[in-house]
Amino acid sequence: MSQQAISNRHGEQDLIGRLKEAQAKFGHVSEEVMAELARSLDIPINDVYGVASFYSFLSTQPLGRNIIRICQSLPCYLKYGQTIMESVAQEIGIIPGETTADGKFSFQLTNCIGLCDRAPAMMINYDSHVDLTPKKIAQILGTYK
Amino acid sequence: MVANGKEIDPVGRQICSPMPACRINLLVLPFQVIAVPIKQSMARKEIENEITLTMNGSPVSGRAGMTILEVARENGIDIPTLCHVSRLPPSGVCRLCVVEVAGSRTLVGACHTPITEGMMVATHSPKILAARKILVELLMASHPDSCLICDKANICELRNIAADLEIGLPRFRARKHYYPLEYENPNIIRDMSKCILCRRCVVACQDLKGERLFSVAYRGFESKVVSGCDQPVDKEACQDCDECITLCPSGALRRPRRPGEERAKKALFIKG
Ligand code: SF4
Ligand code: FES
Ligand code: FES
Repeated sequence: MSQQAISNRHGEQDLIGRLKEAQAKFGHVSEEVMAELARSLDIPINDVYGVASFYSFLSTQPLGRNIIRICQSLPCYLKYGQTIMESVAQEIGIIPGETTADGKFSFQLTNCIGLCDRAPAMMINYDSHVDLTPKKIAQILGTYK
Repeated sequence: MVANGKEIDPVGRQICSPMPACRINLLVLPFQVIAVPIKQSMARKEIENEITLTMNGSPVSGRAGMTILEVARENGIDIPTLCHVSRLPPSGVCRLCVVEVAGSRTLVGACHTPITEGMMVATHSPKILAARKILVELLMASHPDSCLICDKANICELRNIAADLEIGLPRFRARKHYYPLEYENPNIIRDMSKCILCRRCVVACQDLKGERLFSVAYRGFESKVVSGCDQPVDKEACQDCDECITLCPSGALRRPRRPGEERAKKALFIKG
């Protein structure tokens, strides 16, 4: 991966912008990309890794094609967010933090995604799904390939 | 470590010399009489920069740009610190140095708050003592219970402070970290389970050595000081300088003991 892989149109030190671009392009931020960014920005690779590992929408590990993020914050919890997590786990057979063997889904928990008014909520990739009930899960997951 | 002929510990505090400062003062008394006029003329020059404030009810003064902590230490008031190192820029992460400042909604960190004219500071009010105690209690609650067999045992700053504040057995049951020991580098052993995230090693590596081998990664409870992409410390870059190891206030960083080598440092006496 070279300089062209991550464009230079960002500001001098726009590390987050570049990391986001890499994430969008490759699905995750690999060590190679981080080393490349560190070199071009003249900062140590541990700083790049520190930033990349801080943000939950950046991943340093390869992920599945679709990323399920279920909200684990209080309002969703009070509206039985737990049952949503359980039914998703049952449906795709993995627990939060894992990726299915076929690479179709990655399952993660996230903090509030700003959809509390229609809790419980989850995001799959960048689509939001609200007012969830365990019954709706199979149908929603079915729409993703 | 020796600086300006005085023995100081890594944090910059003077270690009790065999001849206490008061006795030295008596000895040099005749010279002081001569020195006074010179000092006064210097003081007059600085007078514009002088800032007067009240600390624990008594008036003290400092120069513009000084922090509350520096003024307190100059006046013999002991504010405990964990992340602060006098020769490094303050990072203000441990919050152990908090003091009460009249008019401030929250407690402020003494190590990074500059003094202002007329400031009213309380350094040992009941509220502060309670806050400090809880802070250290929480640190100790999530610290592995391995002090007895820890290499830093008697020279551990964290333990020293815990003893000073009479923490005893922590009331809280906190989660603990269990990271594998990182001993791949021949110059440094890192036991991140004991790390209290004071970031001294991060700053020291950058400011004292110009290397930048450590950064804080992850978030919240998972936060951890890492090197590279959470890999063992680079053997080429980490060249046996020991700066971070001597500064680490807990047992997280230590130097691999070589056969036949004695422990170089004198053990501090810790009560409790
Ligand atoms: S390793 Fe030591 S110096 Fe570094 S952050 Fe942890 S406790 Fe502080
Ligand atoms: S708490 Fe779930 S979206 Fe805000
Ligand atoms: S010593 Fe001031 S915050 Fe740590």
